[in-house]
Amino acid sequence: MSQPVRIARRAAIFILTLIASSVVVFGLMAALPGDPARVALGLDATPASVAALRHEFGLDQPLPIRFLEWWRSLVTLDFGQSYVTHADIGSEIADRIPVTLILVGAALIIAMIIAVPMGTVMAVRHRKLSGVVLSAASQIGVAVPTFLAGILLVALFAVGLGWLPANGWTDPDVDFIMFLKQLTLPALALGLVQGAIMARYVRSSILDVQRQDYIRTARAKGLPPSKALVRHGMRNAAIPVVTVLALQLAYLLIGAVVVERVFVIPGLGSLLIDSVSIRDLNVVQDIVMLLVAAVLLINFLVDVLYDVIDPRLRAAT
Amino acid sequence: MTDTDARRAVAGGSASRVKRNRRQWNGSLVVGLVLVAFIVIMALVSFVWTPYDATRVDTTARLVGPSASHWLGTDRFGRDIASQLMVGSRTTLFVGIISVGLAAIIGVPLGIVAGMSGRTTGEFVMRLNDLVLAFPSLLLAIMFAAIFGGSTLVAMIAIGIGSVPSYVRLVRSGTLQVMHTEYVLAARVAGRRAIAIGLRHVLPNVTPLIIVQSSVLFAIAILGEAALSYLGLGTPAPTPSWGRMLQESQTLLFQAPLLAVFPGAAIALAVLAFNMLGDGLRDYLDPQLEDRR
Amino acid sequence: MTPYPKKLAILAVTVIAALALSACSGGGGGGSSTSTLTVGLPSEPSTLDFTSNGDAPLPLLYNVYQTLVKDDQNGKIVPSLAKSWDISDDRKTYTFHLVDTKFSNGEPFTAEDAKFSIDRVTTWKDSSKDAMAVVESTSVKDAHTLVVTLKQASNSWLFNMSSRIGVMFAKNAVNDLANKAVGTGPYTFTSWKRGDSITLTKNADYWGKKAGFDHLVFKFFKDANATNSALLSGTINVIGLTQSPESLSQFEHNSKYQVIEGTSNLEVLLAMNNSTGPMANEDMRKAVKYGIDHKALLDTCFSGRGTLIGSMVPPTDPWYEDLTGKYPYDPKKAKELLAASGEADQTIRLTVPTLPAYVGCGQVLQSQLQQLGFKVELKQLEFPAVWFDQVFTNGDYDMNITGHIQPHDLCPVFDDPKYYTHYGKPAFAKLCADADAGTEADQVKDLKQAAEMLADDAAADWLFLLPNLIVADKDITGLPKNSTSESVDMTDAARS
Repeated sequence: MSQPVRIARRAAIFILTLIASSVVVFGLMAALPGDPARVALGLDATPASVAALRHEFGLDQPLPIRFLEWWRSLVTLDFGQSYVTHADIGSEIADRIPVTLILVGAALIIAMIIAVPMGTVMAVRHRKLSGVVLSAASQIGVAVPTFLAGILLVALFAVGLGWLPANGWTDPDVDFIMFLKQLTLPALALGLVQGAIMARYVRSSILDVQRQDYIRTARAKGLPPSKALVRHGMRNAAIPVVTVLALQLAYLLIGAVVVERVFVIPGLGSLLIDSVSIRDLNVVQDIVMLLVAAVLLINFLVDVLYDVIDPRLRAAT
Repeated sequence: MTDTDARRAVAGGSASRVKRNRRQWNGSLVVGLVLVAFIVIMALVSFVWTPYDATRVDTTARLVGPSASHWLGTDRFGRDIASQLMVGSRTTLFVGIISVGLAAIIGVPLGIVAGMSGRTTGEFVMRLNDLVLAFPSLLLAIMFAAIFGGSTLVAMIAIGIGSVPSYVRLVRSGTLQVMHTEYVLAARVAGRRAIAIGLRHVLPNVTPLIIVQSSVLFAIAILGEAALSYLGLGTPAPTPSWGRMLQESQTLLFQAPLLAVFPGAAIALAVLAFNMLGDGLRDYLDPQLEDRR
Repeated sequence: MTPYPKKLAILAVTVIAALALSACSGGGGGGSSTSTLTVGLPSEPSTLDFTSNGDAPLPLLYNVYQTLVKDDQNGKIVPSLAKSWDISDDRKTYTFHLVDTKFSNGEPFTAEDAKFSIDRVTTWKDSSKDAMAVVESTSVKDAHTLVVTLKQASNSWLFNMSSRIGVMFAKNAVNDLANKAVGTGPYTFTSWKRGDSITLTKNADYWGKKAGFDHLVFKFFKDANATNSALLSGTINVIGLTQSPESLSQFEHNSKYQVIEGTSNLEVLLAMNNSTGPMANEDMRKAVKYGIDHKALLDTCFSGRGTLIGSMVPPTDPWYEDLTGKYPYDPKKAKELLAASGEADQTIRLTVPTLPAYVGCGQVLQSQLQQLGFKVELKQLEFPAVWFDQVFTNGDYDMNITGHIQPHDLCPVFDDPKYYTHYGKPAFAKLCADADAGTEADQVKDLKQAAEMLADDAAADWLFLLPNLIVADKDITGLPKNSTSESVDMTDAARS
């Protein structure tokens, strides 16, 4: 199979999976108990006003029509209004996506800054004390839940030392310094844990590569171990790390949900949780679909990337 | 397509290694086993005895520090921390067992089927896998909590379903490897039925993979339940849960930091235990597994 | 370049691009500059339009929106947008003399707007509109005089006009109440960043005492811990409606902060289903009431802050009587009544909405009762959606813990058998009706009797009266000690 055909095939699978997952999301949400119209109107709404609102929301239509109507709204990016808050969903989501992206991006940078050197040292010195100690540290890092890391960071740096604010969010164009200060602890909370996880992957990936024939060959030819590793090994070590990066992005997106709660950050994750608790049905549906689509897109792009960079994989199907 | 290429393709790692069959005890394994055993024993003992009734409010003994009468102190309702930790370990283990069990029961057969069948079935299963992979565990748990209300059961099922794809991928890759060995090729030539091959050759060979993965997924399940309880979507009050104990301790972080330290340490320790067990098992059962993630 | 560093570079570029592209609107972080006051609140309204659902208009009432009359710290009615009023001898006609001022959109506030606002209440979608049912007609005498005629004399009507139903809206500015608020108050509505904060700005043309800050920001926190941390690190200046009194000691011993404790109207009600289930049995209800150690419960689940009450009346109401002696803590009596009821083997379903204070007190209550032999199952119901549906609408509960914040809610909560408390005894309803129609002295007498009837019938239990707890920077003055309304009243707040 040639490359363009393979990529096209992958794209087709991506789209099909996207549609299938939208059916799942819609089906689950339609099963939600509680009448969104009644919740929107509150305590003692009259049955007449509830029925009128149901009609206005289109809740009295048959399910397949509602599903198609929902797809139409997604594709045209016209998300409509929330049943409960009457806010324009599109602009709300648009406001919040950058916030979550920045948080995730910053956490990813921190994670990589930790993971690459730490993982490399852990691999190269895996039989020495420094390697073992780092390995133990990473084990602990992996075992700590993100929100615990967040709470501890707040206790230490915000309240104990007073160096950084405990929570909140400022837009970078409003007050850049405050923005950076408020970004630090949540990004650290997310990034440290992810860094520990990724460090272990880097370690095992490098260790793996070190055992390869071509490394042994290079060393037999007289190259010092580090040069051998860098010149021949890193490219191969990178492949599984790239895959893991994709998986980690998915975890990071979701981990952001928890961090946004600890640090009161107005991102997509906190909107999701808030909407669930006020039964803001169509907002939940849209956000979940957005997150799912993001995960699928990341996986798709990584698959394509994988294909592009590793010619040996082309032989496999 | 050679054996080597196939292995590399599916495992995403290296090929050409000598199969070492030596089973070696190692540090990770020992520490992991000891810690896990400790937690299990604590949970089992809690059915028979705890220092106090874990949910019993004692208004006269609020926020007591560690002492002779309350070994780890009490929380703001006067409930004994040590008892809560012990009963909470039941929730922790329960969540791990059910979610991992659920994921394995669904994922392992699917993975074997995907690995053994022809192109179309294999593809179909992998597409289904991708569909589930699109829903990270926490997201599933949030959706389920919205529909069914937050509870331990909901958390377990969501985490379980979310863990299925990792088994499917792993077992399929292991199955594909086995399918290319001489034994299996011989069996197929001899006309053995698929089920027989599956049970006789595939399963024993992928079992080590499953065991190691289970340990890792157990640790992930524990973290998942803790996060869900923190968000208020997990085990509801008054059933003790380490994650919820952490959440409840937050407002008292400065008066009584130990209230956060004990459940936090418990969670971290439990996760560590299962991670180390997984690493140790990986080294013990087959060092070749190092490159399978 | 080898592919590995290249990937890193691509990633770095993407992230930086994302950072650069984030052009969001609106302000976010609070500050502690002299011109901004940031107040932390526990729950964000789902919409600014409290006329369309039952959400309490906490941040906007009195700060942005104003009423004709207001409550002072002692629960007495004082002038607001009505600078004075005359009441006819038959107490059915009220003539209000209005303040001459403008709305924040520049339109003048006239009697037309007042008439419009009062008439509009009948279109509101929640039950608070019933308080306006006694109004027969409204008429505009001139631009600044409004005449309201009631169907019958009502003691509660004028008082209710100080709450949300008395809000004066601009007749031309009600098309987007969910997202915008146009009022006459010392602050004007500026923006609402959902999930984060509501920002108000000083009204330079305010008719009364000018606001003490240029900006007033209400920030919402789901988490008591986050709120406390925010105050400690200076992100907010005031915590309104403290939800975690157990963490107050860190502020009390800190000279940078002040803790204000006063009374409120929030009764924490242990409702009992008088119509079905084990609690329909009077012995069971009395057994539970004798079995609760109220003092220990308050000390444990709300750090002892608050007042014990014996009926649905806070001490600040004129018809308050201390009825706490009716059911003193008596475990022996509780067990006897439990046995006598014949329902001892029934499991009582105790429901609580998922608000931290009620969840905590629910656990303490459950344990106290279980230690006496009651079978109690604690069920948390997600608030608002599930709780409203199950308990409020369907009455599907045995006992339930919730707070009722509206002032003077003795009658509204108990006089209607269809309301979730399912009480509505005719004798009680009659006392309520008489109290409203009679003189002020009659009102006091009748409502005292009504409150006592509730206690004698063991219609419900009152766990405690929630205090008004505010924590703030030491130098903030003008914070309300008592909470007599549904407002987080920052109109007098200033920095000394």
